[in-house]
Amino acid sequence: MAHATDDHAAHGHHIIPIPTLLKVFGALVALTAITVGLSAFDFGMFEIPVALGLASAKATLVVMIFMALKYDNPVNMLTFSVGVLFVAVFLIFTLLDTAFRGDMDNVDRLTIEERERLNEQLQESDVDAEDLQVAPSDMQ
Amino acid sequence: MEAAAHAASQTDAEPRTYLNHETSLWEWLTTKDHKKIGIMYLISLAVVFLVAGLLAMAVRLELMSPDFSIMSASQYNQTFTMHGIMMVFLFIVPSIPAILGNFVLPLQIGAKDVAFPRLNLASWYVYIAGGALTVTALLVGELSTGWTFYTPYSSQQGTAVIFMTGAIFVSGFASIFTGLNFIVTIHKMRAPGMTWNRLPLFVWGLYATSIVQVLATPVVGITMLLLILEQTLQIGIFDPALGGDPILFQHFFWFYSHPAVYIMILPAFGILSELIATFSRQRIFGYRAIALSSVAIAMLGFLVWGHHMFVSGQSAISSIVFSLITYLIGIPSGIKIFNWIATMYKGSVWLQTPMLYALSFLFLFTIGGLTGIMVGVLGVDVHLHDTYFVVGHFHYVMMGGSVIALLGGMHYWWPKITGRMYNETLGKIAAGLVFVGFNVTFFTQLVLGSQGMPRRYYEYVDRFAELHMISTIGSFILASGLFLVLGYALHSLFYGKKAPQNPWAAATLEWTNVAAIPDPHNFTSTPLVTRGPYDFHKADEVFGGSGDGQARGDGAGSDASRLAPPEAAPSAPKEDASA
Amino acid sequence: MSTETAPATTESVETEHDHHPPHLQHHFVSSEQQFDSAKLGMWLFLITEILLFSALFVAYAVYRNWNPMAFAEASSTLDWVLGSVNTIVLLTSSLTVALSIHFIQKNDKQKTVISLLSTLVLAGGFLVIKYFEYMAKFEHGIYPGEAFAPTGSGYEYLAAIPYVPQFFSIYFVMTGIHGVHVVIGMGLIGWMAWRAHRGDFSDEWYTPVELTGLYWHIVDIIWIFLFPLLYLV
Ligand code: HEM
Ligand SMILES: [Cu+2]
Repeated sequence: MAHATDDHAAHGHHIIPIPTLLKVFGALVALTAITVGLSAFDFGMFEIPVALGLASAKATLVVMIFMALKYDNPVNMLTFSVGVLFVAVFLIFTLLDTAFRGDMDNVDRLTIEERERLNEQLQESDVDAEDLQVAPSDMQ
Repeated sequence: MEAAAHAASQTDAEPRTYLNHETSLWEWLTTKDHKKIGIMYLISLAVVFLVAGLLAMAVRLELMSPDFSIMSASQYNQTFTMHGIMMVFLFIVPSIPAILGNFVLPLQIGAKDVAFPRLNLASWYVYIAGGALTVTALLVGELSTGWTFYTPYSSQQGTAVIFMTGAIFVSGFASIFTGLNFIVTIHKMRAPGMTWNRLPLFVWGLYATSIVQVLATPVVGITMLLLILEQTLQIGIFDPALGGDPILFQHFFWFYSHPAVYIMILPAFGILSELIATFSRQRIFGYRAIALSSVAIAMLGFLVWGHHMFVSGQSAISSIVFSLITYLIGIPSGIKIFNWIATMYKGSVWLQTPMLYALSFLFLFTIGGLTGIMVGVLGVDVHLHDTYFVVGHFHYVMMGGSVIALLGGMHYWWPKITGRMYNETLGKIAAGLVFVGFNVTFFTQLVLGSQGMPRRYYEYVDRFAELHMISTIGSFILASGLFLVLGYALHSLFYGKKAPQNPWAAATLEWTNVAAIPDPHNFTSTPLVTRGPYDFHKADEVFGGSGDGQARGDGAGSDASRLAPPEAAPSAPKEDASA
Repeated sequence: MSTETAPATTESVETEHDHHPPHLQHHFVSSEQQFDSAKLGMWLFLITEILLFSALFVAYAVYRNWNPMAFAEASSTLDWVLGSVNTIVLLTSSLTVALSIHFIQKNDKQKTVISLLSTLVLAGGFLVIKYFEYMAKFEHGIYPGEAFAPTGSGYEYLAAIPYVPQFFSIYFVMTGIHGVHVVIGMGLIGWMAWRAHRGDFSDEWYTPVELTGLYWHIVDIIWIFLFPLLYLV
């Protein structure tokens, strides 16, 4: 810990040069402009993926360079990734419900047993040959 | 060994312990010592446990028989609600990490303190603030939502709900602070040589717990905040009358509250590994499997929350997926149970009180886990949901798991915390009462539930009368056991025998390298770790034993009884440790 | 009383006593350990922030998925120009806070303070713009929740569309909580500027500035997601 320089080497403190910071800032502004520009067009179902993709690109730049995660201890990267992963889990599993809510509505209201009983009843009852003609080919 | 001798003489000359150092009330309230903070948590949580326990007794009394009543229906609703809320949010969630984790974690990894001592103290104050808000909630109105706060009922209740959800929001920060602190401590504060593979399994358990605390707690925080906004501004996110979706609330709630059950049980798993290894005098079987299964459970635990919502009206596809993943959770839990049993196999099992609790845990948690799988089965749960079966299930895991492990851990570390031994005979009696009382109380509830007794009901039909009566009787046995523990614990504080440095001949650092009552700075010099946490044979070698298994260095002196066959073991080793 | 002592032990004890920088707390062995701990702690805190906001994003996703039309209509009344300007303002403030760390690493106290103060000003600007946006909505009876009662041309028709209130509830809650974070961030940045001015920091030790910077970037990142989702539906 004698010299500042040693310190930096030992601590892995990375000084990010100003040109890099400015370039990243330029990219962020450009991506913002693209986001706004693209929002004028209708991408239909791709709208959200496009918007989120651009936002993620911006966020990645901020996290990697401004927050220096790229030069940082890997455990911090791991921490951050786990956080993001669980946001995804939260989102996906909740949508798994809400996007398919009511998917049981078209299920048969009769139980299997009742259905069988009904079939039996139908079988027992006399049916005319005419009643059985349902498809065009039956009519011939 | 010069330094060792030096350290020893220093300690002899000046027996400074964390308990006789800075003892004024003000110094306690501003302490940054993890051990003192652990004790402050212990006292606060004991009060909460007592109050919430008395509420439970009131519930059991009310349900004792169909025509006996001690309270009105609305009082009954409030009673079980407060019992649930206090037990879950203010007791079990913080319990093991905040009490034993705080006290033991830095000692076990050879650190002077946790990474952020001030944050640690802040966590206690935040917790107390949460407690104060809870009291306020009780004073301002009625709270009858159950601990789950389901909307729309909860969002249409009075101000009590606002204060209570505020309390949960606030105390959530206490939990986050603890978890964050522990993760950093475990990553960065380990003593030289304390590799990940040498971490005691309690530390692994706390590590997994902390991950869950950090990832899940913020969500309950924001959920509670949204519920408050729903009440005050009617933002219409959860209330169907305003176009909201009440099931979304359940998603938010269980996204936290299912992982929260792992906040409760993972540290208990950790304690269990310590107890089983130490009292079987065996190296733990499958160290790595136990350690990693904790982390696996922590992660998988985030993927199953929907099993609480099978009959809520969530989509069938998500019910199916959640049910499937729920089965998977059984695997890492099972791995642990098998490993503990394998550890005991051919070990010299020493049936001291902590080990009795450990064995109770194995029995009770197995029932809890298996009933969990049962209710995790989609079709079966349609029948069992919201019945006493679920009540039985979660008491088997939370009380039979976490609380029993906490009791075992408290007995195990009591000598280190207080410097006194508790009364072993009374300890065994109490452990027996708790075990019997617990099963009588809650096994009957499993039966009741499978016969259709719904939960949270004030009245019930006559055919459930006998089982309810038995359950109430069981709860009295259970309570008598717990009060006995309280009694001899208090007694031992003043009259207990002085504890030696390492009464259980354990091999982890808090026993081998720390004085009988720890120094305020824990270690006289930073330990260098050269062995695993359960290398009992090597512990002797490294810590100055003569190689015959009779370690001198562990502070228990030459008291041979320590390692003698279980039957011969006296309840407390000889008094004078440093001789 | 046994204590294992080995070379490493004495070494660590020595280190501690030999160099004792004023910022080093007693329970850490080295500045490096202290710094790494602080940083990991901060990252953990940041993921709690992310998860806190995640619930709001989930609510947004659920309701947008159910009511895409209502969301499009409601969103179209937000001022995307102001939103874009605010995005640029926050991005710039992220740049200045990153610069402040660059300068303190080079031991340039004056530039550090200037960068921090610029960040503070930009953050204030963000809040001012946000204030005008809120006011424009309140004027037309656009409130979160029950008070929602749109009036005036360009807003009235919203009253007839179901689930529009959900959008505004989510909008106000999300931007409101984000705004609270901005205010907290301003407090921290102002405090850092003052401490930097006082000379607390140097290239040897500037952990608080770095942690504050991390916090500020997260506030920015959350806005990066809020902006397209709320303004550009
Ligand atoms: C093998 C592991 C486990 C499985 C498969 C499991 C499964 C389940 C399922 C499916 C339910 C919902 C039942 C229903 O409401 O119909 C449930 C409820 C519950 N479980 Fe577990 N569980 C397990 C372990 C645990 C543990 C370790 C704890 C706590 C320490 C716990 C605490 C709870 C609680 C508190 C409830 C009831 C919540 C309520 O509705 O009030 N479970 N469990
Ligand atoms: Cu669960």
